Amino acid sequence: MSLPISVITGFLGSGKTTLLNRLLAGETLGDSALLINEFGDVGIDHLLVQEVAPGTVLLPGGCVCCTVNGDLRQALLDLYARRERGEVPAFKRVLLETTGLADPAPILATLLRDTQLRGRYHLGLLVTVVDAEQAELQQRLHPEWLGQVTAADRLLLSKADRVPEAVLNQVQEQLHALNPSASQALVQDITAGDALLLGEGLRGAHPEQEVAGWQLFSAVNASRHGNAKVCCLAFDQPLDWVAFGVWLSMLLRCHGERILRVKGLLDVIESPQPIVIHGVQHCLHAPVHLHAWPEGKRQSKLVFIVRDLDTTQLRRSFRAFLGDIGHAA
Amino acid sequence: MCGLCGLIGEDGHWSDPLGNDLPRRRERLRRIAAINRVVAPFRLTISDVQGASYLLQGATGRQALATGLDELWQQAEALIARPLDPLDPRILDALEARP
Repeated sequence: MSLPISVITGFLGSGKTTLLNRLLAGETLGDSALLINEFGDVGIDHLLVQEVAPGTVLLPGGCVCCTVNGDLRQALLDLYARRERGEVPAFKRVLLETTGLADPAPILATLLRDTQLRGRYHLGLLVTVVDAEQAELQQRLHPEWLGQVTAADRLLLSKADRVPEAVLNQVQEQLHALNPSASQALVQDITAGDALLLGEGLRGAHPEQEVAGWQLFSAVNASRHGNAKVCCLAFDQPLDWVAFGVWLSMLLRCHGERILRVKGLLDVIESPQPIVIHGVQHCLHAPVHLHAWPEGKRQSKLVFIVRDLDTTQLRRSFRAFLGDIGHAA
Repeated sequence: MCGLCGLIGEDGHWSDPLGNDLPRRRERLRRIAAINRVVAPFRLTISDVQGASYLLQGATGRQALATGLDELWQQAEALIARPLDPLDPRILDALEARP
């Protein structure tokens, strides 16, 4: 059985630990395993913990908590093996906290490409905690910040009570412009075991709802923020999946580090149902079939969030590889 | 293994065929034809080897074998000694000039 891994990321000091503490306070994490960098990070010292293996403790709520110790792949495999042997409770999901400077793309690459991990785990949601107070400064100074924000499925704003409402609105608008498809919430509103964090996104029971939340058909178009740019391609005719695969695999291989995020709902000749694709930098997830078109609108849409990439050339390339299949918005 | 073609197949890739309606060998040949159109300006040709690998042949007779799409792009770049960029005007001009 493949278990979902939700990744919780966010820049240094953004409040990931505060969020984890809040989640741990409830009983709802009883069926989860928590992978963190150091035990000291999470305030579990005061809880009555039971050590089940070196670097692995069992919290009173039933949540397994263990440290990554530098090698994520090995930590995940060890954890799975312990679960199989019955040394730890049979958790149903993993929450992984990254370091503040981590780029999420290599973590996704590990999960998607490692043959041993592939059958045991799959990616659930990528949650990014954003410090509302420091967002503007961090965006300017740290390229990691942009990678974390654009890769997110959920954006959680922390320290919202420490900034004036106008600033908070501005940060929310900016985040929406950078990553229109991620839903936003305030950390202070998150309760323990919130479905917002424990879902599985596209791999969950309702992929249609997740895709509807991406707002692919909303009016956010070709906006530019710093050196990041959103580029939308829309077309009416069904596309050839083989030619599309050749084009996108070449593009991600050559320009992966400049393509921060790609999401798309596609009308494909080979399939009567809509196909959803999404990826972060070089990594693309396996395509997902939806049962029906959202809002009954049969139109393909591809959204790229790019950094330092010529979008005019990107559009030209798409047309050259796939032919003229309706308008490219 | 594909019962119809007898192919053991290669490692899965996200761009693999979506359905099982068409035999796998036919889908594979469609993919190779699409790739050949792209690499034509560099006088490179790709052909299938037993449904499991790709044979890449350059204009000077250099050859390489690749398994999977990722390795194919890697070997192609090694043979033409430059990156294979889908935004490269040389590739785009050639594709746009096709009837």
